[in-house]
Amino acid sequence: MAKILIVDDDYDFVSGVKTVLESADYEVLTAYSRQEGMEIFEEIKPDLIILDVMMDEPDDGFTMAQDLKREHAKAAIMMLSSVGKVTGMDYDKDEEMVPVDAFEEKPIMPNELLNKVKNLLNN
Amino acid sequence: MQIIEREKVKAEIADLKKEYGNNRSALLPILHKLQKKYDYLPDVVMQETAHALDIHPVEVEEVVSFYSFFQTENKKGKYVIRLCQTISCELAGKKNVARQLENELGIEFGETTEDGMFTLEYTNCMGMCDRGPAMMINDRLFQKVTPAKVSKIIADCRKNFIETDFPEIIPSNIEMTGNILENDITEGEGLKAALEMSRPDILSEIKESGLRGRGGAGFPTSVKWQLTAAAKSGQKYVVCNADEGEPGTFKDRYLLYRDTGKFLDGMTIAAYVLGANKGYIYLRGEYLYMTNYIQEALEKRRENNLLGENILDEGLDFDIELRMGAGAYVCGEETALIESLEGNRGEARNKPPFPTDVGLNENPTTVNNVETFVDATLICAKGADWFNKYGTEKSSGTKLFSVSGDCDRPGIYEFPYGISVREVLKKVGAENAKAVQIGGASGSCIPTSEFHREISYEDIPSGGSIIVFGRDTDMLKVAKNFMEFFIEESCGQCTPCREGNQKLLEGIEMLEEGRCPSSYLDELVELGETMQVASKCGLGQSSPNAFLDIIENFKSELLGRVPEKA
Repeated sequence: MAKILIVDDDYDFVSGVKTVLESADYEVLTAYSRQEGMEIFEEIKPDLIILDVMMDEPDDGFTMAQDLKREHAKAAIMMLSSVGKVTGMDYDKDEEMVPVDAFEEKPIMPNELLNKVKNLLNN
Repeated sequence: MQIIEREKVKAEIADLKKEYGNNRSALLPILHKLQKKYDYLPDVVMQETAHALDIHPVEVEEVVSFYSFFQTENKKGKYVIRLCQTISCELAGKKNVARQLENELGIEFGETTEDGMFTLEYTNCMGMCDRGPAMMINDRLFQKVTPAKVSKIIADCRKNFIETDFPEIIPSNIEMTGNILENDITEGEGLKAALEMSRPDILSEIKESGLRGRGGAGFPTSVKWQLTAAAKSGQKYVVCNADEGEPGTFKDRYLLYRDTGKFLDGMTIAAYVLGANKGYIYLRGEYLYMTNYIQEALEKRRENNLLGENILDEGLDFDIELRMGAGAYVCGEETALIESLEGNRGEARNKPPFPTDVGLNENPTTVNNVETFVDATLICAKGADWFNKYGTEKSSGTKLFSVSGDCDRPGIYEFPYGISVREVLKKVGAENAKAVQIGGASGSCIPTSEFHREISYEDIPSGGSIIVFGRDTDMLKVAKNFMEFFIEESCGQCTPCREGNQKLLEGIEMLEEGRCPSSYLDELVELGETMQVASKCGLGQSSPNAFLDIIENFKSELLGRVPEKA
């Protein structure tokens, strides 16, 4: 079964997403900061990373995505964030500065999340 | 009497629009030019400017009334003498210079001589704190003025300065150099190094260096750049905040001359990372004498393919425009600065949204201090490890400080973050100081008992201003000077700042008169603390800092005073 790493500093959100993903039999790992996320990534090499943007620093998610690209990580990355709502700006995936496979806005419905996860893992 | 022809004014504005554009952001530069021509801004000029920019004349008037450098009445003399009244010049002997000016001209401050030749005015910090008392006569700067020099200066005015030499570059005392000031990087070198890196790699290097904004707020530079770079927008801006207005700060005055190439390189590197093609330098109105120098530097960069289209043949298009402030301290706050660039009153915005998302003309914008851009250039050229080998965990690198007040060696010092106040005082020749103001009028007033503390973001943050108070300094007068400054500079938008500062000053006047009960002083302290949390922008939030520190540390010196005789 595919391994999914959630990196988000919102404990309640992580708990909810973990429950949804585990209900579909995924193996779920969790991290609450960029640093912790990178450590787990190095150790476990997950298949998919669900990544928040604003954590300890407002740009942690972007920085982590760029670090993963620099390391040629094979995992797909879904950026899942409310950064657009918070800042009033549009953010989207971008090969250089936001190198992720999908950029989704919070909140997200469980079925929609599962469908997107499935698609990313299949691709 | 000057007769102003409407049609002529229209034609002049039409020419200025060709230079500055058709939209509202052209307002301030157009007003600067027209005031220079007519000595003031008559109604007809404001009306025609409004029509030309398609805004209401009242909007022009409200902008003009906001900035202290704009005048709507021609009641001033041919020579307007503006004497700096902020604390460093006060400590350097401004009071005696003021008295002698009044003696020589037979008028008081705020008045104009009967022959219409001279007007006397006070002004706030001109960035000459190491060379005070300082004053401006029209757009010319005078430094280290003494009462004995006053009559000669007045005589020179009457002769239209025929025999007076003015230094093109204001000298600075460089008392201590370090990593930043001793670097051997030439113009363009840091930019070339940066353009060989990917945008995320530059961000990674800046993040690794730990560089935080050098203007005072200390926001991590990499975060600011990252958020602006990641935002999706057809237009982004890089803005250099050269509105160095914090009393006691003059280090950018030096960098703007000495490291012109490096701060412009830094802006260009930021443009590359952000994906911006337009930049602005917002230069404080008091530094008007630098405009030719900076314009020439920009032109030279265009000739050398360091600015304009296809910079260094790397496909980067970016140009920079110089814009002048007009005498408003609050415009050092980044959102107020953006409002000013847009041609509005310099009133701070509510945050969020932050300028990285919704900045100039509602586009993502990065605003950084001059020194921050210099440091970013050096980091790209020499690496993060070179930069952060000095400093502390959360305050990396060295920093430029402007030192003034009661010390043997005022000037510019490069210190590593983490240096103690006591060490600073030893270096500047002020070991016997009574107190030190760190971070300018909005910073902290540190008494002798706290000289062991360190200057860093972990302890005492600072944008670079250090003002030393000697043993004989009356701390109540210091508090009064700062409160008068904030009352003058408050934009008046929010009540805690507008009314609060006034109430604190009234309290200081009660203390001066020896009629302030300690219970009322406690209420004033509560008011000050409320202002720190309830004011809209950094100006109001930090305006009671010095007052609160002085009350806390020098209470016995303040209470029970016998009033000075008139």
